[in-house]
Amino acid sequence: MQERNISASNFEQCQKCSICETVCPVMANNPAYGGPKKSGPDGERYRLKNGIFFDDSLKYCLNCKRCEVACPSGVKIADLIQRARIDYGTHSPKLRDMMLASTDQMGPLAGAFAPIVNYSLSLKPVKGLLDATLGIDKRRTMPKYSSETFVHWFKKNAAAGQDDFKKHISYFHGCYANYNYPALGKDFVAVMNAFGYGVHLMDERCCGVAKIANGMIPAATRDAKINLEAFRKSLSKGREIVTVSTTCTMTLIEEYPELLKVDNSDVKEHISLVEQFLYKAIASGEVKPVWKKDWKAKAAYHCPCHQERLGLGIFTTELLKMIPGMELTELESNCCGIAGTYGFKKENFKVSQMIGRPLFDSIAAAAPEFVACECETCKWQIEMSTGVPVKNPVSIIADALDLEKTSELNCG
Amino acid sequence: MMKFDVVIIGGGLAGMRAATVLQTEGLRCAVVAEGLSLHDAPRSEFKAAGGTILAGDKVVGGVFEGDRLRSVRTEKLGDVTLEADWFILATGKYFSKGIVADMDRIYEPLFGLDVLYEQDRSKWFDPAFSSHQHFLDFGVRTSDGCALKDGVRIVNLIPAGEVLAGISSAEGDAKARIQKSALDAVQMIRRN
Repeated sequence: MQERNISASNFEQCQKCSICETVCPVMANNPAYGGPKKSGPDGERYRLKNGIFFDDSLKYCLNCKRCEVACPSGVKIADLIQRARIDYGTHSPKLRDMMLASTDQMGPLAGAFAPIVNYSLSLKPVKGLLDATLGIDKRRTMPKYSSETFVHWFKKNAAAGQDDFKKHISYFHGCYANYNYPALGKDFVAVMNAFGYGVHLMDERCCGVAKIANGMIPAATRDAKINLEAFRKSLSKGREIVTVSTTCTMTLIEEYPELLKVDNSDVKEHISLVEQFLYKAIASGEVKPVWKKDWKAKAAYHCPCHQERLGLGIFTTELLKMIPGMELTELESNCCGIAGTYGFKKENFKVSQMIGRPLFDSIAAAAPEFVACECETCKWQIEMSTGVPVKNPVSIIADALDLEKTSELNCG
Repeated sequence: MMKFDVVIIGGGLAGMRAATVLQTEGLRCAVVAEGLSLHDAPRSEFKAAGGTILAGDKVVGGVFEGDRLRSVRTEKLGDVTLEADWFILATGKYFSKGIVADMDRIYEPLFGLDVLYEQDRSKWFDPAFSSHQHFLDFGVRTSDGCALKDGVRIVNLIPAGEVLAGISSAEGDAKARIQKSALDAVQMIRRN
């Protein structure tokens, strides 16, 4: 009978085992939050009867999705909670939330005045002002903006040669590589080119994850549709879509249909994280890496929550283990606490740092030269809280590869 | 394709116990753990030994060749299969759906392995609630420690823990027997 009566979120399969509660990082640190079981499948039973049972405490959910990883019955707990916030939440997003969420609007604005913005955002009085007026916590180190976007750099320096390659992919760079950290995009292009792939950009919009988290659903839905059209156009040219951001990828693959109800079934199989794409290409012999002879590093791998939810962390660790001079410690799975825009908000800062404590301690114990991690917001949180630099696996690979010899071997 | 020495299906007591011992002894092990039934000490120990955990992933099928299981597919890894010399099936009983009970039959849902159970449904349970319930004894059938599929002994597929016929966590000495079955699986891999 059960098979014939299953919701998209699978909530009627909840067995009330409460394992989700044992892994929820918020529940352990914030007594105001009822936890995943109560907010998710339990609450859903009531909400289906009447929307008045919607509880405002659902806003404390980080959407880290650790509950979904832990659930033995396949209930999409975090989706239930996010969906309930969309369907029943009555608060419209504050100015602060809209600013934090509109990574694609704030990026060009801040980038145009990057030196001033970066300098101002590091000043105590400015941070105090943001704290008092907007509720962006003053203890938080603000992300830096780059004066030249990745897209601008790419068009000027890299676009021209890309058609000369035999194989081609499209690169979904995301807001972070574009506005905050173009070095990541440059490393991506260097690695893909060395392996013989021409890199092409699409008419992409923000994936929308921050907008979804802050209740800006129409804007997120509009962006989702534009992105999917861009992907379809790319696929019609035979170009697979390769991404670097874990959370963008999860949003493109899972949140579009689950939360925004935008159908991506025709393209989602063709979206790969770069580590997954490279692992498969190397393992199948399609491409061959040549590593630098004297390269050595002691790194610790932190698997971001959304990477774990996607189940793709294994590709990163297997790829990094291929590097001959790599000494890799895999850190115990823990949430860093920032969860995108969540940790920037004044009301969440303290909980955010409490959640991250076990991770910060395990990094200190491993004493690595750097932390390897795919996620940009984890990077901000870990660097701010531990002082240990965080490198994206693509940048590590770009550094460890003998790019010239790899290119000779793969582009011939 | 990813190649391991041993792939362990299930991250509960039996699966983690066997995985940790084998990994510590130098075999490359991967545990596919749907749900975090055990996530503290055993996981840390296994990871510290260099083991790989596919958390929240789920084995959805396998490729058999004659009397061997060649590879398994998971939900998350898509077309990348997990290959191994040995597979340990530690998927548990009814709660974790390692064994599934229908109205008229009891089966092992992952590979369709042979299951030992009472054909007469009225004998599955005892109406006296607190007396021994027979359905708790049902589970995967083995021959010299290996699973059977349509009567054929699968020589590299070793069931361990509650998925086995005769072991149930409802029994008093269950934890000891579950671990014993995991160590039996380890022994068999050591010997061969």
